[in-house]
Amino acid sequence: MEVNPPKQEHLLALKVMRLTKPTLFTNIPVTCEEKDLPGDLFNQLMKDDPSTVNGAEILMLGEMLTLPQNFGNIFLGETFSSYISVHNDSNQVVKDILVKADLQTSSQRLNLSASNAAVAELKPDCCIDDVIHHEVKEIGTHILVCAVSYTTQGGEKMYFRKFFKFQVLKPLDVKTKFYNAESDLSSVTDEVFLEAQIQNITTSPMFMEKVSLEPSIMYNVTELNSVNQAGECVSTFGSRGYLQPMDTRQYLYCLKPKKEFAEKAGIIKGVTVIGKLDIVWKTNLGERGRLQTSQLQRMAPGYGDVRLSLEAIPDTVNLEEPFHITCKITNCSSERTMDLVLEMCNTTSIHWCGISGRQLGKLHPSSSLCLALTLLSSVQGLQSVSGLRLTDTFLKRTYEYDDIAQVCVVSAAVEVEA
Amino acid sequence: METAKDGEQSPSEASPPTQAGPETISEPVPLEEEGQPLYHEETIDLGGDDFASEETEPTSEGSHNFGDKLNEHMMESVLISDSPNNSEGDVGDLGCLQDVGEPPRGATDHRLPDSTDKEVVDTLSNGSETDGDDTPRDISDMTPDSRASLKEDSTQEDVPAMPALENAGTEEVGPKDSLVPREEQTSEVSSSQSSSKDEPLPVCTIFSQATSTSSQPHLFLQDGFESQMVKSPSFSSTSETSAKTPPPMVQPSPSLSTFFGDTMSSNSLASDFFDSFTTSTFISVSNPNAGSPVPEKLASLTAPVGEKSPDSTSPSYSTRMDRSESGVSRAALDVPESPKPFSQIQAVFAGSDDPFATALSMSEMDRRNDAWLPSQATREVLMSVATQQYGTVFIDKENLTMPGLKFDNIQGDAVKDLMLRFLGEKAAAKRQVLNASSVEQSFVGLKQLISCRNWRAAVDLCGRLLTAHGQGYGKSGLPTNHTTDSLQLWFVRLALLVKLGLFQNAEMEFEPFGNLDQPDLYYEYYPHVYPGRRGSMVPFSMRILHAELQQYLGNPQESLDRLHRVKTVCSKILANLEQGLAEDGGLSSVTQESRQASVQLWRSRLGRVLYSMANCLLLMKDYVLAVNAYLTVIKYYPEQEPQLLSGIGRILLQQIGDIKTAEKYFQDVEKVTQKLDGLQGKIMVLMNRAFLYLGQNNFAEAHKFFTEILRMDPTNAVANNNAAVCLLYLGKLKDSLRQLEAMVQQDPRHYLHESVLFNLTTMYELESSRSMQKKQSLLEAVASKEGDSFNTQCLKLA
Repeated sequence: MEVNPPKQEHLLALKVMRLTKPTLFTNIPVTCEEKDLPGDLFNQLMKDDPSTVNGAEILMLGEMLTLPQNFGNIFLGETFSSYISVHNDSNQVVKDILVKADLQTSSQRLNLSASNAAVAELKPDCCIDDVIHHEVKEIGTHILVCAVSYTTQGGEKMYFRKFFKFQVLKPLDVKTKFYNAESDLSSVTDEVFLEAQIQNITTSPMFMEKVSLEPSIMYNVTELNSVNQAGECVSTFGSRGYLQPMDTRQYLYCLKPKKEFAEKAGIIKGVTVIGKLDIVWKTNLGERGRLQTSQLQRMAPGYGDVRLSLEAIPDTVNLEEPFHITCKITNCSSERTMDLVLEMCNTTSIHWCGISGRQLGKLHPSSSLCLALTLLSSVQGLQSVSGLRLTDTFLKRTYEYDDIAQVCVVSAAVEVEA
Repeated sequence: METAKDGEQSPSEASPPTQAGPETISEPVPLEEEGQPLYHEETIDLGGDDFASEETEPTSEGSHNFGDKLNEHMMESVLISDSPNNSEGDVGDLGCLQDVGEPPRGATDHRLPDSTDKEVVDTLSNGSETDGDDTPRDISDMTPDSRASLKEDSTQEDVPAMPALENAGTEEVGPKDSLVPREEQTSEVSSSQSSSKDEPLPVCTIFSQATSTSSQPHLFLQDGFESQMVKSPSFSSTSETSAKTPPPMVQPSPSLSTFFGDTMSSNSLASDFFDSFTTSTFISVSNPNAGSPVPEKLASLTAPVGEKSPDSTSPSYSTRMDRSESGVSRAALDVPESPKPFSQIQAVFAGSDDPFATALSMSEMDRRNDAWLPSQATREVLMSVATQQYGTVFIDKENLTMPGLKFDNIQGDAVKDLMLRFLGEKAAAKRQVLNASSVEQSFVGLKQLISCRNWRAAVDLCGRLLTAHGQGYGKSGLPTNHTTDSLQLWFVRLALLVKLGLFQNAEMEFEPFGNLDQPDLYYEYYPHVYPGRRGSMVPFSMRILHAELQQYLGNPQESLDRLHRVKTVCSKILANLEQGLAEDGGLSSVTQESRQASVQLWRSRLGRVLYSMANCLLLMKDYVLAVNAYLTVIKYYPEQEPQLLSGIGRILLQQIGDIKTAEKYFQDVEKVTQKLDGLQGKIMVLMNRAFLYLGQNNFAEAHKFFTEILRMDPTNAVANNNAAVCLLYLGKLKDSLRQLEAMVQQDPRHYLHESVLFNLTTMYELESSRSMQKKQSLLEAVASKEGDSFNTQCLKLA
């Protein structure tokens, strides 16, 4: 991140260099056998090279640290580190030197200087060094402003500034998806499964150190991204703990409403705050990055205005013999009266008895109606009760109810023998 | 060059009988004595040479070029003899004979101390006089021949060949004026060729020459006339004999020279005769419709062959008796009558125990190193070559290896170029580095350039030596022959290009070698040059280089594929050895010690392939597979276990940032090194701990560990460099600079490494606006210590 030399009239030179982590030098091994024309010459050249590993010269990755060759990319969540050096290039003593480093983002201006104290005196060929660190929290254009003020030997006050502009990029692409699971027909609140897709959109591998979900006050969370094997927690992603560039990984979390919130059926409606993802990753030589998503939100599932619930049903019935179920129909709307008609549709296994298209009459807001229905099954095994339709004649809106229950159908002969 | 090839063939043929004579010989002496008797035997084997040269022609295109060359000279003499001035014609014939025969005679003279004093005096003086003249002519002769063959090859090749021809022509015309008359002669030859082709009746030409001969002295009138009229095809072998023994021709009377002149002219007809026969056979093989004309041609050919056989020995016999009456001539007469393989077998059996055992030992080592498993198609070609040793084997051009230099520009010296730009001419003139012209033009000179890191000059020298082998600039795509030496030269040149980072250049020059499995890269393809030798000429290290090059060109997947193919062959050979077979799967009668040595060699080669695969996977950034591959390498190189485990830890740390897993591997290193009780082990442990702290952004602690290493090993360049880097990240630029500068000044020979200098240069730029002057000081230091292979980019001066 070097820039043009400062103007000649200034006695001090200001230099800034981004301090990404150093890298390890890589060798290109070329070997030959003793019978070859060069004999042992190629191997000897590799041994004499100080950057090869002593005793394992063919190993490409050496041990020699090399400073960064360019500014590189900086991503949201990473730490921006820079070396700031003010050097006295002149041949006279300079006094009262003040170095100030600010970082200007699109929304704020931050002071990064380690100390704001002025340096009393700087002799020729000496320098003032500072290493600044800043965890980047915004995307977009950033400008590092370095200002130097000093006094010359003759008592003249001098001042100059330098600007270093760079872009902060987005490292990860995070997408979320919610799944609703109904555990109990009588329960209004249910478990929610959150699938988070995280894609590495940088150009280097990322070691995913931690991806966790911090739930909101209404939920408890269980992570489903590892398996217990022989008493040890093993990741479901296998031994590879890192994301290659453009790779995507899917994390799964199970959220359950807390008891104090589950009992209040009416509270969890509409928009619900779930929580936020906390992601920590590592790159080159342990370079660390950290990100949090904003609060994840979810629409609670709605049941509409008419609710049909099962009151009674036998566990086991005989093949081709009628059996009875009791249903409860509730008008959940707060102000509207309904005029309902009940229709019964047969499935491949379930056959309804009685009249389809029966008028149920008016149902007032928040009131319920119990019905006794008769049906039979023509197929053995576990069968779903489906095919009920309620129509509100005022609005001409039809509500469908399928899979409202299951029933085990057995043959009569078997029962007789037992 | 073709003559030199013939020279190479003779010594190998003669060496077995030579070993028969002496029984008690010290090691250095046999080499010297073998040299002299080799050429002594060559005289005896002149007849054998005739057969060899005849048989070689149909099997390789190189000899075809030789035939063309002879043909051209024949045509030239024909043209001259047709001139009205007969006496000038005779002189011209003699001149041509001398040109053709002089190179081999010179070689013979130098190696014939056993000859009579009289002969030695005469021939030595002639050799010394003509050697100087012959060399430039031979070199210049090659180009016209190659140009002619280029034109003859195909129309399509003309387009790409033209630029090369123009370049060659431009370069040659400038420095050497002598080329002008040579070109004129070439044009004359070509014009005479065209005129001869237009003539419908070649027999008439011979008849007219016979007529002119009849005017000569009466003593030879009857013999010359009769032989020309009746036995014209048989003169081809006679003329070849005379071509290879020019000394006797110089001494005979003018009438004899007339006789030989006639022989040469008849040889041209014979050459045409055989060419047409070959062409006819080829057509019949490729085109079934041509079946009907073949019987007629064969019928017409039968009569001349029949006539030739009863009379062919008579003129040869009389010629040789005239030349010499010693017992040697009798041996020469006997040799041609026996089949070549039989004579070779006799010679081998006649050998004594000591030289024989030595030869066996050498061949055992060669067999072990050269073993390889060719592909099915290549194996079939090699078998057909072996079974049709004196027949014709047609191989598609696409299946032959025809390499040549792809660039002939001098590599130069990047350091000197920078000095010229930044330090001026005076300073640049002080730089003293060896170049391709300042060392011996041989393998010794090549090694010298490599060892003092003048790799660019070494690339140039390889190019010169390959040009001498006939595989120079512009030779790619042209027929050539391969030897062990030429393959080694290619390997060295390509290896140096890779070391210099010139991957594209290496890729271009590797291209003609295909997948390194063409039949002409095997010793079996050259039974006359390498009798009884088996295996591949390609160095194993060249196969590794060929595979690895692709990853440096951005094709790591192709590198992996090639490495897998090499690995498959190595595994198969190892399996054969463990089953008690030879490397190639054939029955083996080697000793247990020899088999053990083979297993050891091929196991180490298999390990080397796995090492390359691990490095390739690392470049592909497939770290899971790379780590597993390095763990496999440990099984083949257990002595490198601590280094490889440390390397795996560094991979996880540097490339991925997985500190916890890296720490596990570093702990494994500590367990392994505890048993070693060496300084090296302790340094490794400290180095690993330092890297762990770097991973945790703790540069202060890392610096402590690097400093502790320096207390134990003050000359450790890595620890020195790394400690300085830590100081920079701690905000201590001046201290860091002082440490690196002190290291570089202390021992420049070792510490002028591009990584260290890059760090130093980077910090100079951060420190001061006077970095340019300091970088130039580094350039001066580099100029006085480093060779031409130094990577100047690390100085950031460009």
